[in-house]
Amino acid sequence: MKTRTLPLLICLCLLLIVGVAHAQDERGTLRINHAMEFGGLESLDPISQYRFFDVNARLYNRLVRADAQGLPAPELATEWSPNDDATEWTFLLREGVLFHDGETLTAADVAYSFNRIIDPAVDTPVRAVLGIMNRVEAVDDTTVRFVLNAPHADFPLLLTDYRALVIAEGSADRIEQTGNGTGPFRLETLDLEGTTRLVAFDEYWEGVPQHGVVEIFPIPDATATLQAFLAGQIDIYSATVAEVPLFNQDQVYVQYLFSGGWEGMVMRTDTPPFDDVRVRRALRVVADRQAMLDLALGPNGGTIACDSPVWPGDPYFSQMNCPQDIELARQLLAEAGYADGITVDLYLSDLSQTWTTLAEVYQQQAAQAGITVNLNMTSSDGYWSDVWMIEPFTFTSWGQRPADQILNEGWRSGADWNETYWNRSDFDSLLDRARSALDFAQRKELYADAQEMLWMEGGALIPYFTNTVRAVNNAVTLPEIDYDMVPWWEVTVNR
Amino acid sequence: MLRALLRSRSGVVGISIVMLHLVIALIAPLIVPYDPSAQSVRLALNAPSSQHPFGTDHLGRDVFTRTLLGGQTALAITLISASLAIVWGGMVGVALGFIGGRIDELFMRLVDALLAIPWLLFLLLIVSVLGRENWVLIVVLTFFYGLPAIRIVRAATLDFVARDFITAARARGEGTLTIVRRELLPNVLDVLLVEGAMQWSWMLLGFSSLSFLGFGVTPPTPDWGLMISDNTRTFSLYPWATFYPLFALSSLIIGINLAADALAKALGIDRTQGAPL
Repeated sequence: MKTRTLPLLICLCLLLIVGVAHAQDERGTLRINHAMEFGGLESLDPISQYRFFDVNARLYNRLVRADAQGLPAPELATEWSPNDDATEWTFLLREGVLFHDGETLTAADVAYSFNRIIDPAVDTPVRAVLGIMNRVEAVDDTTVRFVLNAPHADFPLLLTDYRALVIAEGSADRIEQTGNGTGPFRLETLDLEGTTRLVAFDEYWEGVPQHGVVEIFPIPDATATLQAFLAGQIDIYSATVAEVPLFNQDQVYVQYLFSGGWEGMVMRTDTPPFDDVRVRRALRVVADRQAMLDLALGPNGGTIACDSPVWPGDPYFSQMNCPQDIELARQLLAEAGYADGITVDLYLSDLSQTWTTLAEVYQQQAAQAGITVNLNMTSSDGYWSDVWMIEPFTFTSWGQRPADQILNEGWRSGADWNETYWNRSDFDSLLDRARSALDFAQRKELYADAQEMLWMEGGALIPYFTNTVRAVNNAVTLPEIDYDMVPWWEVTVNR
Repeated sequence: MLRALLRSRSGVVGISIVMLHLVIALIAPLIVPYDPSAQSVRLALNAPSSQHPFGTDHLGRDVFTRTLLGGQTALAITLISASLAIVWGGMVGVALGFIGGRIDELFMRLVDALLAIPWLLFLLLIVSVLGRENWVLIVVLTFFYGLPAIRIVRAATLDFVARDFITAARARGEGTLTIVRRELLPNVLDVLLVEGAMQWSWMLLGFSSLSFLGFGVTPPTPDWGLMISDNTRTFSLYPWATFYPLFALSSLIIGINLAADALAKALGIDRTQGAPL
């Protein structure tokens, strides 16, 4: 009898211990979803192309964050200054910042994190943003020097990238399991197909986190995500204007943020028929952008874009006009040898709620110029790994980025996320000259030329920038800041 | 048989619904008031009115027009597939029932195994590999929906093979094919017909599910499954854009089921006694 009860007792004790370990933190649990967009390849390595955004934003810190005006503000670095020709930047680090494992942050950790980005042995899309770094040196424990390949007058802005996160020196081979950073939450369980749990890191340098636990689980479908939010299973939902009347005001509040996020359709400029600039232009000028905006996002859902990814809130934004021009489209197609019309396959998935609508609107508009658009629905999990940048004509969406960053990351020759396979040395040269121009007006002019070039010849149809409409459960207080920049430690959950 | 069928009230209702749907599908292109693909910002999500009796959808398209046209593809593809399914399912079922023995055992286990596959997932797999051409859908639907027919027809055949008239035919020296065609098939034809009608309604549901998931009919072709999916997120705000295609699809399936049940009764087949699906 005794031999039988003993294992049972041990089991009970274990259960009890596990139960205590999982007891709810009284500060509350924030529950969010992710779309499983990388099909289970999501990585805690901040510079991996499969970066697990929602988790990494809580585990790690940047050196510099962007404030509400889009200007650089201190995070792990407290102050910074360039040398005379902006080829070297020196950053002073905050003191007393702790990693989750108890180690103190030093300049060596920062240098290590950023040198990884330019290490040729590491494959990362962040190099497209920060490839301008030549080397990063720890001058002393709290001073880091960035030596650049070329002058860059706006270098601190590049460091606000959501993937330019700091990890501990020498931790690259373990980071995917440990997630050891200096952020307000530390990893408890990583389960990509189940629930990933983060818990408050009470020694966080900015202050004690105001909610205790974050639970992140996959919902790889737009309709299911909305239903989960309406049922109160997740706390934050990125909505469309048309969905707002669905929300119960007693349970949910809605935030409207002017934003530079965008979605659109991208053609591979290295693949027929899109390697012909006339075909690309024809496919873009048939778009009635106002109608697209109104039908896909609803009134006040966004602002018109002219195929340039630089948004109106950016200091380098260039105002252009891009009316629908069916005649021009027909003429261009005829010149390109498609006088009898052209048929193209457009690939999309249910990943974004507006893609299907936008696709159907575009299909109708394009038909007016003799362009037949076949819609190819693909599976939403794995869309970014198996369809996007592989098929010649696909849907895309991007978060808000500063001009220099989006142009270099999305359009510089050979950049990892150069989704239109745009390979133009004259364009690259414009970007280089803009970076080294220390005079703002001159920089602005060069960036305007680059935007003009995309409108005339580029492969991306960018119809609009999406205003962010965010619905939040009443139990959660979320500041009105771009999702990418939310100080998560401040968010409270009262449930 | 037809007279027996028409004596049952539910049979009359069912057949009328199905006939109505078929007629609408045939003449819809002639009677619809609008272009089913015409979009309009101004008209998006308008409530039903005298100009648009069923309202408009999220792109300002006329829901009445799209509902009338929305059954065409589904009806055409499922009618063809259902007919083909009972033909191949019936042939194989009768043959297996008649041959019996090891071959029968082997094939039936194979059928059991195939029936255990979740067909919708399998269909999605095939469509994503081969593309969603109509012929792909027809081949896959025919194959999968023929499987239950094999089971049921084989069971019905087993009732007959031991009877005297088959023995007599054998004694006369008739070949296997002749016996199957002249003696067995006519006797299981009623079972096959009922089975075909039931398969048709299941197939409609299956096909509409595919469209709902975005893998059946390609936009902008109007289709009930696609229309339901397009507007389902905002159902509580603009119910008309979802309700009418939903109603059309449900009424057709209910009609087919009523007709099939009445047919089964008229033919004296108890479907509950058939082989389990």
